[in-house]
Amino acid sequence: MILLLHLVRKDFKRNRVITTALAVFLILSALLMATGLRVAGTMNSSLKGLDELAVPPEYLQMHKGTYDEEAFDNFVATHEYIEDSLIVKMLDINNKNIIYQGETLEKCLMDNGFVVQNEGFDYLLNMNNEVAVVADGEIGVPVYYAEELGIQVGDVITLHKDDYSKELRVSTIIRDASMNVALASSKRFLVSPADLDEISRHMGENEYSFEFLLKDGSSTAALQKDYMDANMPAKGVAITGSLLTMMNAFSYGLVAFIIIAISILLILVSLLCLSYIIQATMADENVTIGEMKAIGLTGKTIVKLYQMKYIILVLIAGVIGYLGAIPFGDFFSSAVVMYCGYGTVEWMRWVFPLIGVILLGLIVMLGCRRIIRKNLKRSVVELMRGEEQIKKEGHYTLPSAGLKYPNLTMAFGELKCRWKEYLVVFLVFVFSSFLILLPMNMKNTIENPSFITYMGIGESDIRVDIQYSDKLTAQKDAALASLENDSEITKYAIYENGYVQSQNAVGEWEYLRVESGDEAVFPLEYLSGSAPSDSKEMALSYMNATELGKEVGDSMTVVYQGEELTFTVCGIYQDITYGGKTAKAAIDFAENDVEVYIIYVDVHDGVAIEKKTDGLRSILPDSKVTPVSEFIAQTLGGITDSMSLVEAAAIIISLLLIMLVTVMFLQLITAREHSAIAIKKAIGFSNRDIRIQFGIRILVIQFLAIIVGTVLANSLGEMIFGWMLSAMGASKIMLLVEPVTAYLLCPAAQLLTVFITVIVGTKVVRNYHIRDQIRE
Amino acid sequence: MIKIEQISKSFKATQVLKDISFEITKGDFTAVMGPSGSGKSTLLYSISGMDSINEGRVLFEENNISAMPEKELSGFRLNKMGFVFQNAQMLKNLSIFDNIILPGLVAKKESAQAIRKHASELMKRMGIEGIEERDIREVSGGQLQRASICRAMINHPDILFLDEPTGALNSVAADQVFAILKDLNQEGTTIMTVTHDTRVAAKARKVIYIRDGQIAGYKEFAVRADRSSELDEWLKGFQSKA
Repeated sequence: MILLLHLVRKDFKRNRVITTALAVFLILSALLMATGLRVAGTMNSSLKGLDELAVPPEYLQMHKGTYDEEAFDNFVATHEYIEDSLIVKMLDINNKNIIYQGETLEKCLMDNGFVVQNEGFDYLLNMNNEVAVVADGEIGVPVYYAEELGIQVGDVITLHKDDYSKELRVSTIIRDASMNVALASSKRFLVSPADLDEISRHMGENEYSFEFLLKDGSSTAALQKDYMDANMPAKGVAITGSLLTMMNAFSYGLVAFIIIAISILLILVSLLCLSYIIQATMADENVTIGEMKAIGLTGKTIVKLYQMKYIILVLIAGVIGYLGAIPFGDFFSSAVVMYCGYGTVEWMRWVFPLIGVILLGLIVMLGCRRIIRKNLKRSVVELMRGEEQIKKEGHYTLPSAGLKYPNLTMAFGELKCRWKEYLVVFLVFVFSSFLILLPMNMKNTIENPSFITYMGIGESDIRVDIQYSDKLTAQKDAALASLENDSEITKYAIYENGYVQSQNAVGEWEYLRVESGDEAVFPLEYLSGSAPSDSKEMALSYMNATELGKEVGDSMTVVYQGEELTFTVCGIYQDITYGGKTAKAAIDFAENDVEVYIIYVDVHDGVAIEKKTDGLRSILPDSKVTPVSEFIAQTLGGITDSMSLVEAAAIIISLLLIMLVTVMFLQLITAREHSAIAIKKAIGFSNRDIRIQFGIRILVIQFLAIIVGTVLANSLGEMIFGWMLSAMGASKIMLLVEPVTAYLLCPAAQLLTVFITVIVGTKVVRNYHIRDQIRE
Repeated sequence: MIKIEQISKSFKATQVLKDISFEITKGDFTAVMGPSGSGKSTLLYSISGMDSINEGRVLFEENNISAMPEKELSGFRLNKMGFVFQNAQMLKNLSIFDNIILPGLVAKKESAQAIRKHASELMKRMGIEGIEERDIREVSGGQLQRASICRAMINHPDILFLDEPTGALNSVAADQVFAILKDLNQEGTTIMTVTHDTRVAAKARKVIYIRDGQIAGYKEFAVRADRSSELDEWLKGFQSKA
């Protein structure tokens, strides 16, 4: 053992650069793997913990207006599958009446409701995940605002309307299992019963949330159907537990998913490099191995000898990766911890990464063993003769007209003959380019205003929501009158949203959200078919169509006000809002059944959207007016922030990766070509010429790899992104590429990194001497 | 043509060349002999500027090549010097013919057509016509060594440096190489060769004997057809001292 370690130490000393590069490579793989799994473990524990402690409802139905409490109690009593129920009274306060540090929350898309702590389930928790308690004069603020606006304990929130003003001191930040994420459009503030009572006398509108816990094995769809059939209060959105889980998973899981995906790719690249390095170094060791075999060392001993180095490397990488994953993992999971806490199964964030690095270690060790064994199969004589060296590589021909650019001609010629040697480095460069572009393109796509088309509506500038108010019709009329006379507006369209019943795939009746309005004003790109053109046609969202097994041309029966209506499916579009299940049809909803009017507005070129939004807000005080770009940003909230983090991490990792691979590769090829370098020097090539030839070879390979990586990021990337978003309702995403960054700056940064690395890495050429080729 | 003035060279703590001085005049055929490890090849590479020296200077037509920048020196090697090594060293991704013409095409002293013609003539003269398009592994050691001489001669060098040119050849091939070297020298090419082989050294006009990095003996022979016996006699003196 001591002898083995001694030999390994000598080997480290001899191949310092390669060993260091390989070590960094393995550490990076282990670090990413462990980080991804630590984020996954934390996320799992956090979400599970929050669910266990806050006990969110499995089904909740929002409602505005009056209701019959006795009828609700009867409904609960007569449905055995209901485990528990709750009526949560929420005082909706207009965002313009909530003031923090002198500014109202008017620009905020969220609906804000004030509640008291629940009893039984659906608790609002404090930052220690305990049931939060606030005294009179205090307020619990949703963690969303703590993140977005930087609200802290001790700050003051002022409620102000007309002559009434009330100051509430923030005593706790609230974690809300039902409405935590940015994707949920409502947020709940916690106040004391006395304060709620006082505030409700001066402002706000009561909204109720009818919440249910179900017995094991019960279906929320059945409850939804029974609830609607029983004419229970339902003037508002209905949310199922599975929708909450999906929103949470998408919001928090995206980063973990991307990091794990990157780490898996990186491990593959590491193995590829490892295999290349082992083969390259083993080729140089052939004579030594032959000698060892000749003096009677067994294959097993020789394998052990060569494997030892890689075992030590992977052990070091594993330990550093695991330890490094603690700060990195915590950084990437800070959002989920902030929103959900560490949870109840904290061991996951320690054990998951441990399993990951152990697996990585095993994969690397087994991989090394296989390659080394394969190399040892040759006979002593073959090894001693160095059979490897007599492999034929083929020729290139010098141009008959002469050499105008000798370095260029020779670099291309040698590349043509030795392209196989460059395969590994090519693949790594493709991977790096892909890795940089994919998150960047994804982020660009999400941030672009045209992303609204994946939310079931054509591109527009401003969105006006008129919802859940007794003054719904009056507001709508006022809004339309105002827009009609506004010369800055090019076009607008109003859409009514209401619910009809439809049968799901297993024959259960579900409520389906239908949008009715002129679909031609803001045309949407359909996956297949087109928008409804008459009252007999209905367009379905992708998820609805998939779940119901409907295609364009099929018929679709829905029930509205007890009457069966049959439509022909005319088109399928993408929509990630409302759980991805929506429809578009010309249904004339009764005024009472309209849940929300949404007006989309386009302004003339040159009109500042922000300014116009402010103008409309003052004209339409009871409506929610939002620029569409802001709507997307707020709806996707943390996702774009996470994507920015991932984008930055991907750029750093990729550049580091190409630098490392270039250093390693240059070390190997210059060592392999020491004889050619010496000959070139002897016949009159300068060191600079030879270094230029190496540079051209690597940069050409990288240039080709960037092209392939870019094409892959656009094509395969679209598939991956589409696959990720298909769970939400958009399957065919067109990645939007920012051409200057993607096609100019990123390739330039990568080429520059390699260029600088080549300058440094080829300095070694000066040391190769014709003298070393001579045996005196 | 070349003045070697008190050159010394060390590899770490070991001194390989000590205070060596001599001169090579145009048209000379100089052989460097000596036991293995005596510093013969190091002397050759130091004189040709392929290896640096620690002390002294090498003047090539009054140019101090030991102080020349690397780029200028490589130009010097390309245009004024030719090299032939013990194990014929050629680029494996080029055919024999392209290996020969490469320095010519890089130097651009003549048109590509003239370089090709010159290469063909050299090959014919060396008796290796017909192997132009072959891979360097598809020819014999003697053919490869003769191809190396062709490459070294392609730019009409002022001096040809050879390091054990017959060391890896059988006696027939070695004889062919001797004959070529002799012809080239007679046509005016200055030659400096490191060799163990007395048959090669016997073709030289000047023989330098190196031992322990120092010139142990220096002899200029009269112009005569056969100098073998005189050389053997001279070398015996060193062997008896050893």
